[in-house]
Amino acid sequence: MAQNNNQTASFMLRFTQKIFEDEKGTPQVQWRGKISHIQGGEQENFVEVTDAIKFIKVKLSELTKKATKDKTPEEQEGILVRSLDIWKKISSTGAKMAFETIKDPRKGVAHIQEQISQVGEDIGQRLEIDEWRGATKSDFKSIMETLENVTTQLHTLNKKVDQLSKNKK
Amino acid sequence: MSAFTDRLQYLEFKKKDAQIRVLTLGTFEVFENGRFISSKAWGRDKTLQLFQFFITSRHRRSLHKEQIIDRLWEETASIDGDRDFKVALHGIHKVLEPDRAPRTEPKYIIRQGVSYQLNHEYIWIDAQALEEYVKLGNEAVSTEITTASSAYRAALDLYKGTYLPDRSFYDWTSEERERLHVLVLSAYLSLAELLLEVHPLETVRLTQAAILLDNTWEDAYQLQMKAFLAKGNRPAAIKVYHRCVAILDKEFGLDPLPETQHIFDTIV
Repeated sequence: MAQNNNQTASFMLRFTQKIFEDEKGTPQVQWRGKISHIQGGEQENFVEVTDAIKFIKVKLSELTKKATKDKTPEEQEGILVRSLDIWKKISSTGAKMAFETIKDPRKGVAHIQEQISQVGEDIGQRLEIDEWRGATKSDFKSIMETLENVTTQLHTLNKKVDQLSKNKK
Repeated sequence: MSAFTDRLQYLEFKKKDAQIRVLTLGTFEVFENGRFISSKAWGRDKTLQLFQFFITSRHRRSLHKEQIIDRLWEETASIDGDRDFKVALHGIHKVLEPDRAPRTEPKYIIRQGVSYQLNHEYIWIDAQALEEYVKLGNEAVSTEITTASSAYRAALDLYKGTYLPDRSFYDWTSEERERLHVLVLSAYLSLAELLLEVHPLETVRLTQAAILLDNTWEDAYQLQMKAFLAKGNRPAAIKVYHRCVAILDKEFGLDPLPETQHIFDTIV
């Protein structure tokens, strides 16, 4: 069957947890991940989440390249750079941010809030409304899903911060 | 007879009794009262897709028409989507109930207002049955090993390959495919573990099948090493360990877990 060619890239993530004791008898947790690109069928195993993000980045770049193949090389490069901006930010700061959040949850929350406002400013500056006139229902649906996801994650993080504050007291 | 064996029998009966039987694992085949429905009978691909979408979404019970159109006709304007949906639905009714009298309600796809769902009373789906067998196996495993083994075996007999292989690139199938994939892996390992002492060679076969599905599934290597050891085949057990080490290194850059290492230490 032919590949479903559209503007959508879907990814399936599988995490397998391995709990074991090291030589000193200290409990350890290991996460093993597998990411699949649904429309292309490729898969990759990973231990570091940044590798999964890298995989997504490559697939999304391919999608952007495919969608802009009729543009001039300069235009294509510009679109690609803009498309990759958000991923650069996540892959460069994501792991560090997660680590900092574990060490200091309040700082982590502040960091996330700062990033959200930065992204908000970026979007405000960069979005050309004309580019969004042709947005499909699925584009909006995808944005809504992403926002819901972010909200859920923030909610979980807030809960953890509250719990940690309680424990401290 | 226990409640578990009753359930096992009921699942067998349900398969034989169903008016519509649908195979989704490794293939896509539909039978209406034993009559095979050829792929040509579906006509347009969207008719077939809509039926497969109902099957894939069976856990959600009832589906709103808009939800269906959004997923299957996402690039189409809503008025066209509505028309295309009606055409595809009519196509399904025609294929499944060619002799239905005019102005009678369709039997297999039930409509409630603007929501639709499969009528599970008459439809048997291999993926659904597989899940029910695994569930039964998991529930019976601590008290009725024989029934649990039969249930896992029945589940694995149904597994002929990946879910709806012709729709691998459609994202509305991916969630179900992944869920079944993990379910099958767990069934392979549960049965392999149950048979380790009484039938170690069958444990070897089952773990090999699991490794074919996912070559990074370390539990499968562990069980396979134990099975070879139970058969007194130390060289084969050592080989399995080295294969496990190589795969984990290649795919994750990791060493095996201490438990795997421990099994290996008991071999050498």
